[in-house]
Amino acid sequence: MRKQLPNPYIPMLTEVVSITSENKVNDIKTIELKFKKEEDYKNFAYIPGQFAEISLIGKGECPIGIASSPTEEGTIKFTIKKMGTVTSGFHNCEVGDIVGIRGPCGNGWPMEDMKGKNIVVIGGGFAFSTLRSLVLYVLDDKYRKDYKDITVIYGNRDSGEVLYQDVLEEWDKRDDIKVVLTIDREEEGWTRKVGFVAAIVKEVAPSPDNAVAIICGPPIMIRTAVAELVELGWKDEQILNSLEMRMKCGIGKCGRCNIGNKFVCVDGPVFSLAELKKMPNEY
Amino acid sequence: MEQKILQKDQIAKLYIELSEEYNIYAPVNEKGNIVFKKIANSDEIELDYLNSKVPPKEVLFPKVEVLFEYKLDGKDVEITDRQDLDEKILIFGVRPCDAYSFELFANFFKAHGDWEDEIYLKKKENTTIIGMGCNSPRTTCFCTSVGGHPFQKDNIDLFLTDLGDKYLVEGISDKGKDIIQKLSWLSDAKDADVKKSEELAKQAEESFTTKFNFDLVTKILDENFEHPVWQEISESCIGCSSCTFLCPTCTCFDVIEENDKYNNRGRRIRIWDTCQSCLYTLETSGHNPRPAKIQRCRNRIMHKFSYYPSNYNCLGCVGCGRCIQACPVNNELRIIIDKILEIEKEEDEKAVA
Repeated sequence: MRKQLPNPYIPMLTEVVSITSENKVNDIKTIELKFKKEEDYKNFAYIPGQFAEISLIGKGECPIGIASSPTEEGTIKFTIKKMGTVTSGFHNCEVGDIVGIRGPCGNGWPMEDMKGKNIVVIGGGFAFSTLRSLVLYVLDDKYRKDYKDITVIYGNRDSGEVLYQDVLEEWDKRDDIKVVLTIDREEEGWTRKVGFVAAIVKEVAPSPDNAVAIICGPPIMIRTAVAELVELGWKDEQILNSLEMRMKCGIGKCGRCNIGNKFVCVDGPVFSLAELKKMPNEY
Repeated sequence: MEQKILQKDQIAKLYIELSEEYNIYAPVNEKGNIVFKKIANSDEIELDYLNSKVPPKEVLFPKVEVLFEYKLDGKDVEITDRQDLDEKILIFGVRPCDAYSFELFANFFKAHGDWEDEIYLKKKENTTIIGMGCNSPRTTCFCTSVGGHPFQKDNIDLFLTDLGDKYLVEGISDKGKDIIQKLSWLSDAKDADVKKSEELAKQAEESFTTKFNFDLVTKILDENFEHPVWQEISESCIGCSSCTFLCPTCTCFDVIEENDKYNNRGRRIRIWDTCQSCLYTLETSGHNPRPAKIQRCRNRIMHKFSYYPSNYNCLGCVGCGRCIQACPVNNELRIIIDKILEIEKEEDEKAVA
C-alpha cells in the first residue's frame, strides 16, 4: 500500500541519468531516472508489472510500464516507443532533464501467487519491458529460490528489434533460466530460432503442471500463442496478460480505461485469461 | 428537529450574514438558463426554477480545473499545489437529486483503487448544502425510481420547503443546525407550516409520471451486453455528449497542460470529458476499443445501471432527467429503458410460446 500524497495529481520529480537506444531504427529508448528526493524513492515501492504516469512538465503525461526490477536499486527505468507528443518529448530528453512521476500504479504480476511455480514468459516485440522487470526479479539471489523453472520465449520481427541485449546476454550465461529467442524471418548471422512466437511455443511445449504463463505482445501474437498453450493443456487461470488502454489519471478517476466494470489502471493491468473471458470485448 | 421560517424577503439578510464566512453559489438566470454561479449579491439568486440546466456538480468539479501550476527555469521545475482548497463553500437551492449526486461523486473519488481525489474530497468536506424540496417535479424527473424523493433530506445540511411567500427551514446535519443557530433572527415555524410542507411532499411524490423498475433493468443489462437492441438504441445518437456533460454523476475528465510559453510557466488542468466521444478511448497507435456509437451508447447505459450497481451497490443515476431533456434527437433515457425492458418481455413471450 502506497502513501497517499495530499494531491494525487502532483508528480514526484526525477532526473534522467541515462538514455539507451534499444533498437536499430532508434524509435525505442530506455530512460533511467533517479528521484530528486530520497524520500520519494522510498515511497515508490513497486513490483514487476506495475506502471507509472511519467511526464515532461509542460508537455504532458503518459502511462508507461516499469522496465526496471525493484531489485535494481537506486533508479527506475522506462522503455518508451516514439509515438505521440509526450513519447517524442522523452526521445528528445537529455541526461539531467527533469521527469515527473506518479505511481506506482496498477496491480502488477502476482509475485506472491507465483511462488513455488514454474514460470513461462512469452513476449513479443516492444511489449517486453515489464517482462524484463519480472525476469530480473525472479533471477535475483534474494528471490530465485522462491520460484522453480524459468523459461523465456521472446520473439521479434528482426534482430534489430531485440530489446535489452545486455540482460539477455547475462541470462544466456546462467543455467537456471532457459531463454529462447526467435525472429520472424531468416537473417544472416542469426543463430537462434526463426519463426513466429506461436510456432516456437508449440516447439518448446512448456508443461502446464504447476506453472504460470505470462504473455505480453501484439494481439495477434497473444491469440495464437494462447491457442498453442490451450492445445498443450493449459487452463485459462494459468495464463496472465497485461492490458493497455488509454489513460489519463492512472488512479481510477478519469474514467476512460474501463472494460466493463473494471478499470485497467487499478483493477489491472494484469488479468488472467479466465478474468478476461468474463469481461466485455472492449479492449 | 428545529424548524424555522425564512421569509422570501429575508434572503438578502441571509446572504449578507453567510457571505462573511462562505463563498456562496446559487441558481442564477444566465441568458435564459438556470446555472449555479458564485454570487456577489443576493439579487442575482433566481428563486423561481424547477432545476438548473447545468447541474451544480460544476461548483466542486468545474469544467476546467487546475491540478497544479508549474514554473520552468532552464532544466529546473517548480511545482505549486492548489492553495484554495480550504475555502468554505455554500451552495444554495440544491435539489435533492443533485444533493445525492455529490455523495455519489465523493464515493467514487474515494472508492475505486488506493488513491483518493483529495482535490474533490477536500472541497466537498468544506461545502455546506442548502437544499430545496421540489414542489412540482418535472415530467422528466424520476428520482423516486432510483431511491430518491422530491423531499429527500439526506445529503442536505439545511433543507428548505417553499411555502409560497416563505420557506420552512430545517437543520438536518450539524452544519445545517449551526447555521440555524447563527441566523438567530429566524422565526419559529408553526404546526400549520410543517403540516403544509408534509402535504406538499405528498403531492409532489404523487405527481411523478416517469417511473422505472431499475432492478429489472440492471438484471437485463447484465445478461445482454451483445444484444442487437444496442444497434437500435445507438442508431439515432449523434454523439453530441449533452447527456454526459449535463449528468450530475458523470465524473470523467481529460488532463492537459496549458502553457504560458512567454513566461515559462503553465498549469496542468483537468477538463470534463465524455465516453460519448470517439477520442475518449482512442490510443496513440490508432487502436480504439470503443470505435463506434454502439459501444459508446452502451457504455453510458451500462456504466450507470450495471457497472455502478456491481461495483458500488447503487445506481449511478439520481433521476434528475437532464439527459432526457437535453437529447436533441429524442433518443432519451425513457425510450432507451423501454427498449431494454422489451428484451425481457420478448423472452417471456418466447418462453410462453
